[in-house]
Amino acid sequence: MHTQAPAALQTAQSRAHRPATPHAASGKFRLTKTALTSFLLGLYFITPWLRWSRAGESAQAVIVDIPARRFYLFGLEFWPPDLPLLLGLLIFSAATLFFVTAYFGRVWCGFTCPQTVWTDLFFGVDRRIDQRFGRDSALGQAVKSALHMLIAVLTAFTFTGYFIDITHLGGQLATGVAPAAAYVSLGVLTFTTYVFAAHTRENICLHMCPWPRFQSALLDPETLVVTYQAPRGEPRARARVPLRPELLDIGNDGPPAAHSYLTGADTYRGDCVDCGKCVSSCPTRIDIRDGLQLGCIGCGLCIDACNTVMDRLDRPHGLIKLGTEMPATPSTTAAKRTRPRILRLKPMMFASVMLVSGSAMAVSLANRSNVDASLEHQRQPPFVKMSDGSIRNDYALRFTHRGDDIASVAVTVEGLPGAAVRLSTGDEPTPVFICNRRSMSERVMITVPMRTAPQGRVPVTVVLTERTTHAPLARLETYFWGPGGAQ
Amino acid sequence: MAEHRYDPVTGQYTTGHSWDGIEELYTPLPRWWVITLVISFIVAIIYAALYPGWPTTRFAFAGLLGWTSAGQLAEEQAEARTEQAHWRNQIAAKSVAEIEQSDELRTFAITGGRALFNQNCAACHGIGAGGQQGQFPSLIDDDWLWGGKIDDVYQTISHGIRNDDGESRQSEMPSFAEMLSPEEISAVAEYVTTLSDPSKAESRKALPGAEVFANNCAGCHGENGEGMHEMGAPRLADQIWLYGDGKEAVARQVAHPRMGMMPSWKPRLGEDAVKMLAVYVHSLGGGEK
Repeated sequence: MHTQAPAALQTAQSRAHRPATPHAASGKFRLTKTALTSFLLGLYFITPWLRWSRAGESAQAVIVDIPARRFYLFGLEFWPPDLPLLLGLLIFSAATLFFVTAYFGRVWCGFTCPQTVWTDLFFGVDRRIDQRFGRDSALGQAVKSALHMLIAVLTAFTFTGYFIDITHLGGQLATGVAPAAAYVSLGVLTFTTYVFAAHTRENICLHMCPWPRFQSALLDPETLVVTYQAPRGEPRARARVPLRPELLDIGNDGPPAAHSYLTGADTYRGDCVDCGKCVSSCPTRIDIRDGLQLGCIGCGLCIDACNTVMDRLDRPHGLIKLGTEMPATPSTTAAKRTRPRILRLKPMMFASVMLVSGSAMAVSLANRSNVDASLEHQRQPPFVKMSDGSIRNDYALRFTHRGDDIASVAVTVEGLPGAAVRLSTGDEPTPVFICNRRSMSERVMITVPMRTAPQGRVPVTVVLTERTTHAPLARLETYFWGPGGAQ
Repeated sequence: MAEHRYDPVTGQYTTGHSWDGIEELYTPLPRWWVITLVISFIVAIIYAALYPGWPTTRFAFAGLLGWTSAGQLAEEQAEARTEQAHWRNQIAAKSVAEIEQSDELRTFAITGGRALFNQNCAACHGIGAGGQQGQFPSLIDDDWLWGGKIDDVYQTISHGIRNDDGESRQSEMPSFAEMLSPEEISAVAEYVTTLSDPSKAESRKALPGAEVFANNCAGCHGENGEGMHEMGAPRLADQIWLYGDGKEAVARQVAHPRMGMMPSWKPRLGEDAVKMLAVYVHSLGGGEK
């Protein structure tokens, strides 16, 4: 059912067994991965169910309201004009990803990428079913597929619930009154989750994802990556073959394992007994002993698997470990450098991008105006002559404000002597409007007496202030046309 | 079917056929391409069966679905009508003044009225309702021939001006070319141009046109040229001159008056549409209270 990693991606064909479902490993990497997977899945599945009081009503705490073009994040409310914040967030996220990669390799791929998280969940399901029904049981395969589909549907349902109130979504979907987009989203996400996590799995990482292609540009020689300690492990042989004597010194306090010497052969082996556990436990089915490669997602499960074997052989951990690509036998230039430096050029550059984009985002979020207003001059005709000879210009004002309060806004004009402002809804010359909805449009009329009317076009500023507090809300630059100018 | 033969030079297989020792490499069409082609044939046949498109000499095959673009339009229009029924019914039930009072209905009426205006009224009155000098009055200034209150505007749009509609606005300015001498016309035109200048309030009484005006014009246009909405008589004591200001233009208008006409819109658009138009026009800034 599952495709094998293609030969082109392997630097050497290994005899090791590559099972359909990777074998379970246990150790600190597995523990970290389990904890992170549980946390991220929990975050994903629980978040839409959180509630938040909004406008006196209980509403979904995190929701993207597409018809109203709003994004709610607990107490925060984002509007289309806030899109630069999203850009900032993306730049910040990218810089963070590069930063972490420069230090620790592909931990994003290994632990937090949705493809990894869901695939890991599906692997877990597969292993339990295999244990219960046996690896070749047809019933087991059917149960697996059913569970895969169930998880896929739940995933798609939850995703859709980020856009439509999830507490009503189920009923809406069942009774057929949900928007068409909800059904499309449910169908597409079910399909992609099922196909990507239950069938395509590591092939997404190997063939579809662009990230592995440029990861090598982010790594430097001191980046921590999953490495096989070839000088210690080679040559590989079965455990019966005696260990190279010089290896007995490393780290092992106890007496050498007696069984290593039972045969009395004249050939020796390294620490690697070629058990294939690192390959069979790998979620992307690569052989880490071939060196750093595109297929390695840096999850460290092979480290756990190898350490378990090392324990059994009574040998120290770390034949495969999170280490640098620095030469194991230090050359003269790197002789003094046994540990990777913290202060390195590449990650520091990424850190500065993080700092700049992060602080720019924080500042703009803090200074974000709750009001969005725009003024458009009605240019057809450019001006109106009134019966007393005064000249009037009309403007379309669009006014939107965040939050639940009612805005009472006074409109005044600067830069035009003798100008009077009137609104089409307002009762005579009190230019105040009440915005009790989120958004409204208003016709603003500015009139200048015949004598002071400007010749041609002059710039003016329309000022919106809160009526009672006189707090400035917006200053809108526009212009005023008078007769006699360029026509 | 000949056997495919491996060709060591190219590393590919040949078709197995040999013509005078010349063989051809076996490069069939990609499977996906063939499948796509077959599928598109099938889709084309189904499509041709479902939708209209096969003409004969007498009729055209209408398609199994019975689809027509006109039918789709009608369907979408019916859908839009159903969606708007909530507001449309309220607009039909209420008077224009009541619609203006309701925030929600007013917004709906202005939005719909703008679309209606651009489609039906803008040809004469302009997209911005600014009118055309010498042709059609501006709807955004504060001068109204037939009254600028919301009810007046509604009445004017409903039944129009000087048309066959029984309730349309009717009036006619007589042609004074026959009744007055050229000198009198010139004098009254001179007098009319002073009406809008308050500084000449006293001095104009001595003008020779004053008497001509009082005898012939004041009946409709008012003693001081204030105009009369009931007659559609324009105010002469202001700065707005539809058919041009200045003595020449006024004299021409006195001798051979031009009068606008406007169709009645209620029979064409329906009552609720006219109400929306009235609210929209009234919101444009000229609307009298």
